[in-house]
Amino acid sequence: MHHCLSATRRVALAATLAALTLGVAGCGTTSSTSGSDTATAESSVSSSAALTLDDGWVKAVDVGSSDMPMTAMFGTLHNSTDSEITVSGGSSPAAAEVELHEVVRTDSGGMQMQPKAGGFVIAAGADHTLQPGADHVMLMGLTESLTNGSETSVTLQTSAGEVTFTVPVRTFTGAEESYSPDSDSSSDS
Amino acid sequence: MTASNTHGRPQPAGGPDPAAAGPRRRTVLLSGLLGAGAGVAAGAGAAVAVERSRPEPDARLVAARTTARPFRGTHQAGVLEAPPPYAAFVALDLADGADRDAVRRLLTVWTDDIERLMAGRGTLTDLEPELAAVPASLTVTVGVGPRVVGLAGAEAPDWLAPLPAFPQIDRLEDAWSDGDLLLQVCADSPTTVAHAGRRLTTAVADLATVRWVQRGFREPFEGPGVPMRNLLGQVDGTVQPDVTGLDADLLWVGDDGPAWLRGGSSVVVRRIGMRLDDWDRVDRASRENAVGRRLDTGAPVTGGTIDTAADLDATDELGFHVVDDAAHLRRAHATAPHERFLRRPYSYDDGQGGDAGSGLVFVAYQADPVRQFVPVQQRLAEMDLLNLWTVPVGSAVFAVLPGARDGEVLGEAMFA
Repeated sequence: MHHCLSATRRVALAATLAALTLGVAGCGTTSSTSGSDTATAESSVSSSAALTLDDGWVKAVDVGSSDMPMTAMFGTLHNSTDSEITVSGGSSPAAAEVELHEVVRTDSGGMQMQPKAGGFVIAAGADHTLQPGADHVMLMGLTESLTNGSETSVTLQTSAGEVTFTVPVRTFTGAEESYSPDSDSSSDS
Repeated sequence: MTASNTHGRPQPAGGPDPAAAGPRRRTVLLSGLLGAGAGVAAGAGAAVAVERSRPEPDARLVAARTTARPFRGTHQAGVLEAPPPYAAFVALDLADGADRDAVRRLLTVWTDDIERLMAGRGTLTDLEPELAAVPASLTVTVGVGPRVVGLAGAEAPDWLAPLPAFPQIDRLEDAWSDGDLLLQVCADSPTTVAHAGRRLTTAVADLATVRWVQRGFREPFEGPGVPMRNLLGQVDGTVQPDVTGLDADLLWVGDDGPAWLRGGSSVVVRRIGMRLDDWDRVDRASRENAVGRRLDTGAPVTGGTIDTAADLDATDELGFHVVDDAAHLRRAHATAPHERFLRRPYSYDDGQGGDAGSGLVFVAYQADPVRQFVPVQQRLAEMDLLNLWTVPVGSAVFAVLPGARDGEVLGEAMFA
């Protein structure tokens, strides 16, 4: 698909990014409860103990609602090993493509979303928060609708091996990840 | 005063029942506030100054706001606990075209969200988890109507339907009646109630739309000597079955009910408007006569304390019953052991002045509303002096799902 050709392209956010970024300040990590809560445990099942996902969720999306339906996964990644782990990519049966994104401030003062160079690097024993308006795992080219209250599967490729998470899908009105390849903020520097 | 400190409340059994903490906690909170008040009243200016310069949190208030009720169990929370002072009753209708899968997904979302909120945590999508960080004894109780049960593939009990009409008194409005789903949200903090209600309704906005919301309150300082009073000034919710003991089968659906509902219950939510302008014209003796109880203590007009049974046969020197033949107490009195239910009422005061907009959200829990509640309501509809000042404007019946045990989704047994 054309939107996955350029490794350096940036995905510009539509005006709705404002709503998305508003959440950043107020959305502190909830990782303090990680590993000690049954609700957390059942919401994300990891096939590897090295990297876990607490409070993970994927935004519900109707594939019929957009020409390029996409969504994102959020939550708190936790590196339970004594070594640094790098998350380098991902895949999902629900999406043609999975990318690791960050949200950065542009020269013009706006915010935009772009692939995170080098992936997510998570120090030994550390958490890495994925949330609207910040780092997140982008699911693009969705092959099926993801309905509120269902589950989907996302696999991350990491330096510690592949890890697959079963993640609940939730309706959410924020995180309007509109993909605008022709936006004026898409120029690379 | 020597009135019982437990009147009008379900009596939690001893042991591990978390509900047992309710009245005790309230008492602690109350005494803490009273203590603070006494200090000020004593003119202890120095003490007040010290208090301000040393802003340490009051341990009793901290305990009250951090209290988290358990979500998992045989029964849902929000029934046995002493009702906290703030509540919202939210009825929703399933979206058009909702199917079995949609019902299951909705209950999946609510199960996870409610468990998190009751534990003082934000929901998965919550960008304002700080508003969830004060659980304040939050309970969320989910009820379902016949459409939900049918879509899930279970058989609804006969009583899961609108109550029979009471044409003598009912002035029901659709805006306050019926619904496919009910959320009863209760807490010691109105902010907690508002946040939980908001998150739970938006979380399923694609699956169900809000039909009506009724917000209510009770006396925040309820406790020994400070009973729940409705806005007519009457001590309310006095007669209660022993639902944690001998009368448990009056509350919970047992083996004679549908398998999917065992451990569940039913709830009747009726919005009772009060004609306060008319009530203002009534003297206190007439008010007490209308209810059959003293306004000050809540004791029957035949004497004793609030916990004393009324002497319905007592007559005055002229031979008339002391408890008026049309008094609310007499008409509501159970004529058979099964005509009892758990009252959990809240006042509302949503008006813009005048006498519209105040009343009572009457809430009754019972295993079978038609068998237990309807006979009483029928007698009240036929004759009750209080009908002069009250008018039912809303009515709804829901099946209260059994509790979700570990690993279960609320209502899971409906899909079996």
